[in-house]
Amino acid sequence: MRIVAAAALLLAGTTMAFAEKQRDLGAHEHGVGQLNIAIEGSEIAMELTAPGADIVGFEHPAATEKDRARIGAAIEALKKAQDLFRLTDSAQCNVISAEAELLAADEGSHEEHDHADHHEKHGHHDDHHGADRDDEHDGRAHTEFRAEYAFSCAAPAQIREIEFGYFDTFPNAQELEVQLISDLGSRGFEVMRDAPVLDLEGAI
Amino acid sequence: MIFLRLAIKSLISRRMTVGLTIFAIAMSVALFLGVEKVRTGAQASFADTISDTDLIVGARSGSVQLLLYSVFRIGNATNNVSWDSYQDIAARPEVDWIVPMSLGDSHRGYRVMGTTDAFFERYRYRGGRALDFANGGRFSDLFDTVLGADVASDLGYKLGDPIIVAHGLESFTEHDDKPFRVSGILAKTGTPVDRTVLISLEGIEAIHVDWQGGAQRPGRAVSADAVRAMDLTPSAITAALVGVKSRLQVFRLQREINEYPQEPLLAILPGVALQELWGIVGVAETALIGVSAMVIATALLGMAAMIFAGLNERRREMAILRALGAGHTTIVAMLLLEATLIATVSAALGTLLLYAGLWVARPYVDAAFGLYLPINAPTIHELGFLLAVVAAAAFVSLVPAIRAYRMSLAHGMTIRS
Repeated sequence: MRIVAAAALLLAGTTMAFAEKQRDLGAHEHGVGQLNIAIEGSEIAMELTAPGADIVGFEHPAATEKDRARIGAAIEALKKAQDLFRLTDSAQCNVISAEAELLAADEGSHEEHDHADHHEKHGHHDDHHGADRDDEHDGRAHTEFRAEYAFSCAAPAQIREIEFGYFDTFPNAQELEVQLISDLGSRGFEVMRDAPVLDLEGAI
Repeated sequence: MIFLRLAIKSLISRRMTVGLTIFAIAMSVALFLGVEKVRTGAQASFADTISDTDLIVGARSGSVQLLLYSVFRIGNATNNVSWDSYQDIAARPEVDWIVPMSLGDSHRGYRVMGTTDAFFERYRYRGGRALDFANGGRFSDLFDTVLGADVASDLGYKLGDPIIVAHGLESFTEHDDKPFRVSGILAKTGTPVDRTVLISLEGIEAIHVDWQGGAQRPGRAVSADAVRAMDLTPSAITAALVGVKSRLQVFRLQREINEYPQEPLLAILPGVALQELWGIVGVAETALIGVSAMVIATALLGMAAMIFAGLNERRREMAILRALGAGHTTIVAMLLLEATLIATVSAALGTLLLYAGLWVARPYVDAAFGLYLPINAPTIHELGFLLAVVAAAAFVSLVPAIRAYRMSLAHGMTIRS
């Protein structure tokens, strides 16, 4: 009897644990975005994550037509990789692909893992959306834009610096934290609005 | 030209005081350049501690902390990484290789690290150098251990010696029922590996099989032979080094690990974390540079004082020059030239002293501190610094020069009693 009770309790415990929403929030700092750069051979992959506040100036869900238009315009602007990140001309780099999307930061991790295996959860996920909106109205939720770029360079050894048109395009962005990995290992940089150039001398 | 000859002759006639001044400035210049060399050397050695590893994975904490305990063996992990999570990461398609590390035990003050054979293949330092064995080889038995160079030399171990691992880092309880045998000794690397005792992951598990809550369970001891038959898959590790197949996938893998839903994990790029850590340590080096700059300033002021004091002795010399037709400005130019000469000779001598010092001290510094100081031609930066010293010398000598400028001709001609 006691065993059954214990088992029932255990079961109740586990279902409760499952029912509980994962309470795991990443850090989110307005004005500061993250840029990851990986260089291998002639290929360069870049990955930009920036708070909604930096890109469109607001983080509430797009309620009006105007908001939606701004988000649409921002995503288009984020896709113009050659304007946002100007690589040294003599390296002859071309943009192979550029993708941008808007993520709700509190769902970022879910969205990330929602590739294929979690699809059955999607309904449940959508149900939650209403609740999330309420959260966002409380001003607690954050949104993030994420963009991924691929460049191909004819002379990658010629890359000396990256000029950040990013700060001109998005006037609310103040700083990018850059992680770079190349043949010479990994390094970190900070690029600020008032000095929007990343000197890559000796880093590639 | 006549000025130069006169200045040199005048300096030579006062060779004792001038010589001492030159020596003082030269020493301060050598000190400054030496600090600069040690600083850049230390930074390079520091950055060279680990290379060719794309990610370090551990429990979620801070990137610097993870780097400190996983690479430098300083401090402790806040949490372990469960073996299941480790397996999950190892199975990811981006992962080329993964090396587990299990820390927490010690041997006479040196940290013990459980790992696999892959560590010897994958751990790289100083721009891709692999670990070398000075003696012996990898683990061939469950109770084999490989020692870092410093552990072996400081404790006087040789191949085949028995080693008893202590439980925890500062404890008196020892795993004395299961001694290890030294199967290999690594060559000196100048990295924290030199101060590490390496055993296999299974070895770590084996010595803890019959332990519970920090003590051996009384009456339940498992003998060293019996443990060999047991399943020694660990339940957790402390951290792991990861290499990816393509560098372009590093960040995706990093994000996936950082957002791993089953367990709070952290993946860091070693180079970025090293830089962050150096940024913290770097404050001390700025202070060091400040102090050595002050030493130079003191030496230059000493030179100004020397010239100043010399003015009185040289009343006659100045007066004769003036009587022969040299103007006020000529006297000033002479004094500035003297100071510039002193500073130039000092800078050259200081550089020479530095290189001599480096040449003598380098092997010792490398052996004692694992600090590799490269001997190379002075950088633009250093040349600029030497020029600045000369310019500063000319500047401070303006004080005595102006004084000389004001001295009247009569002042030098009258004979004081």
